[in-house]
Amino acid sequence: MKLWLAQVVLQLFLALGLSPFVSGFIRKLKAVLQNRRGPSLWQPYHDLFKWVRKGTVVSQQASWLFRATPYVSFLTALMVSLMVPMVTAVVPLSYFGGVLAVVYLLALARFFVALAALDTASAFGGMGSSREMTVSALAEPAMMLSIFTVALTAGSTNLSFMVQAALQHQERFLSPSHILALAAMFIVLIAETGRLPVDNPATHLELTMIHEAMILEYSGHYLALVEWGTALKQLVLMSLLVNIFFPVGIGGALTARTVTVGLIAYVVKLLLLACVVALVETSNAKLRLFRVPELLSIGFILAALALASSFIF
Amino acid sequence: MSELQSPLAAIAGDVQARFGGAVRLRDSRSREIYLEADCRSIQQVALHLCGLPNVRLAMVFASDQRPQESVFYIHYAFACDRAGGFLLIRIPIPADQPEFPSLTPSIPAVNWHEREIRDWFGIGPVDHPNPRKVATHDDWPDQVFPLRKDFDLMTRIPLCNRPRHVFRPVEGEGVFQVPVGPIHAGIIEPGHFRFSVAGEPILYLQIRLFYTHKATEKLFEQRPLANCVFLAESVSGDSSFSHATAFCQAIENLAGMEVPRRARLMRTLLLELERLYNHIADVGAIAADVGFMVANAHAMRLKERILRLNGQLTGNRLLRGMNVIGGVRWDWDFVQIEAVETVLSSVSREFELLTDPIFSSASTLDRLDNTGILQSQIARDLGVVGVAGRASGVNLDVRRDHPYAAYDEIAPKVTVYDRGDVFCRMKVRMDEANESIQIALEAINRLSEGPVRTEIPLSPARNYGLGYVEGWRGEILVWIQMGEDGRISRCKIKDPSLNNWPALPEAVQGNIIPDFPVINKSFNLSYSGTDR
Repeated sequence: MKLWLAQVVLQLFLALGLSPFVSGFIRKLKAVLQNRRGPSLWQPYHDLFKWVRKGTVVSQQASWLFRATPYVSFLTALMVSLMVPMVTAVVPLSYFGGVLAVVYLLALARFFVALAALDTASAFGGMGSSREMTVSALAEPAMMLSIFTVALTAGSTNLSFMVQAALQHQERFLSPSHILALAAMFIVLIAETGRLPVDNPATHLELTMIHEAMILEYSGHYLALVEWGTALKQLVLMSLLVNIFFPVGIGGALTARTVTVGLIAYVVKLLLLACVVALVETSNAKLRLFRVPELLSIGFILAALALASSFIF
Repeated sequence: MSELQSPLAAIAGDVQARFGGAVRLRDSRSREIYLEADCRSIQQVALHLCGLPNVRLAMVFASDQRPQESVFYIHYAFACDRAGGFLLIRIPIPADQPEFPSLTPSIPAVNWHEREIRDWFGIGPVDHPNPRKVATHDDWPDQVFPLRKDFDLMTRIPLCNRPRHVFRPVEGEGVFQVPVGPIHAGIIEPGHFRFSVAGEPILYLQIRLFYTHKATEKLFEQRPLANCVFLAESVSGDSSFSHATAFCQAIENLAGMEVPRRARLMRTLLLELERLYNHIADVGAIAADVGFMVANAHAMRLKERILRLNGQLTGNRLLRGMNVIGGVRWDWDFVQIEAVETVLSSVSREFELLTDPIFSSASTLDRLDNTGILQSQIARDLGVVGVAGRASGVNLDVRRDHPYAAYDEIAPKVTVYDRGDVFCRMKVRMDEANESIQIALEAINRLSEGPVRTEIPLSPARNYGLGYVEGWRGEILVWIQMGEDGRISRCKIKDPSLNNWPALPEAVQGNIIPDFPVINKSFNLSYSGTDR
């Protein structure tokens, strides 16, 4: 029980502490790739600190929903981060519902954010909500299918079991179904974290925004919660990708040695993935909005092929 | 008629012959001919002139001559682009019946020009198809006309509760209005855009500008002549040198001053530097608006080098303070001249670092191709000029058609595309940037020793004149009339943005909302230059 509590606390702090760093790292890397110096790696922490101290401005049109949403989105992201294997295969909230719960807790957060965007009656919020829902309606099935491909081979939708099963059968890393599912999951990651070529996280042009348009009305500590929640969600999705598809170095049991090795391996894998994301963002322009469904359909087809080929091979 | 009659004089002579006593000659110069017409006949005259090949109505403006002659005048400036000159026709408007026949139904290009006259001078265009206010806003009283002579510049107007501007309704199932602005994200000026959308596709766009109206044209009337150059520089911040040149040329024209060749070459060089830094920044900004930041980073780097060169040449990164009436403020030494050659030849080599990534990025080209198409016919009808015009097949360039500064000896190659999409507008900029470097280097080569300015004569040759410059956006026209006290009595400024803003809704129609920013950026029009 004590060990479990310790693990909960440690994983919470790890997720809260690491998630802004990953965002800052991608931002820095993009700046370097563009020949710029870029903001400091710690800028996301400074931003969070700044927003927490600042006052909030809330539209008079807004209802309780607008105020509740930052907490909902932050807390669901925090909870999900306890359900995903990060440093060890043993997850604090292992028996809560596995991967289905992860996907739908994230969907719950998105549902609230989309409603809150409509709630302020601003022109941009509605635009953002409608776009986000279009994108996520297509991204969700692709994500489910690609995770099911791994779950099917593991024989469980429990993320701990999936990671352990993958650890025992490392030869599967190169199987066609695994690679197809990985590609699908990467497309989902790009779409769900609002990165180029789907969405441009660095733009100031409201009319082109997807995720940013929904949270335009937030300020102060609400904004801090929403942004931190977004960073947590990004960390969760990246952790899913690196740990389910490449559970290299991840510890099976909770000992000091496995945790240390696991932590180093985890951070290295995350940063490598962040490099790939930054490269994709730098080398691509944003897709025309009506092309985004095409990209996500490709993700879905890849995931479907992965699932089918897992029966064949 | 003499054998040696110039093409411009031929056009003017033909108009006089055709309309008999209704059109009279006032003043004939080599590149400007002034006529006076009757109010009743102006419609036929304008239609006749605009029906001629390569003649267009470039601007319409009013002047208040009630203190001297108890009439207003409406002036029509026709650009005769292959005849190398301008035909300016004025019609007298009686002070007690301030009305003039609207030309907008047959020449839509002057829509905003005519409404501006109504809002600022209180002279109403009769039978204008869209008589709503354009240049003054809802809180401005109906019967107060700021550009009239009897309006004191320092008058305080209490806010008045007029009915709100009525936007045209767009109705249908699932049609929504998306209001954007007047305050925008980023550091740009105010303008209100109202999109009517069905889902993402834009059905209709209505633009409302003139939020930054500063009565600049009236300010010219208050200031000593030398200070007016600074005022001209601030009409539109990114075109400060072009506007100052147009202003100075108008004064030099009316005073009959001969600007020394060295000064004309220096002006040419600086005009091209202004074009260059703006075109490079725009290419980068277009790439940035579709999320392709690498090209933007290169553009910012190259732009910065040119801005520093500007600083080295003129003491100001935006080329301010260099233009004076009669030439330029100071001469350059060989260090400065060498810097031009060094910087421009390296920018010329590195320009490919900016263009190559764009051409090799399929995802970027996909966003630019066939986006925001401005049809050639619409561009012609709306009188679109400059970059936006040349991307839509409108073959106009003041540098070639009406050479000024040193463009008579260094003629620019003008590139024209017909498709009129965002890609073409970017390509026009790329081609012109390359051409600008060549012109600038050529100008530096041709610099010969000599004075860089002449003095203003005590008694000017005439008391009105036109200045014209191809700014980087397009044609800038300045018409100046001097008063008897040595001050300006009327200064009309026409920024190319005034022609091109009405074309933006046409280019946007049928595109989707998230493509609007890049379409808008590909026009990159000035708010300040329009609002004045």
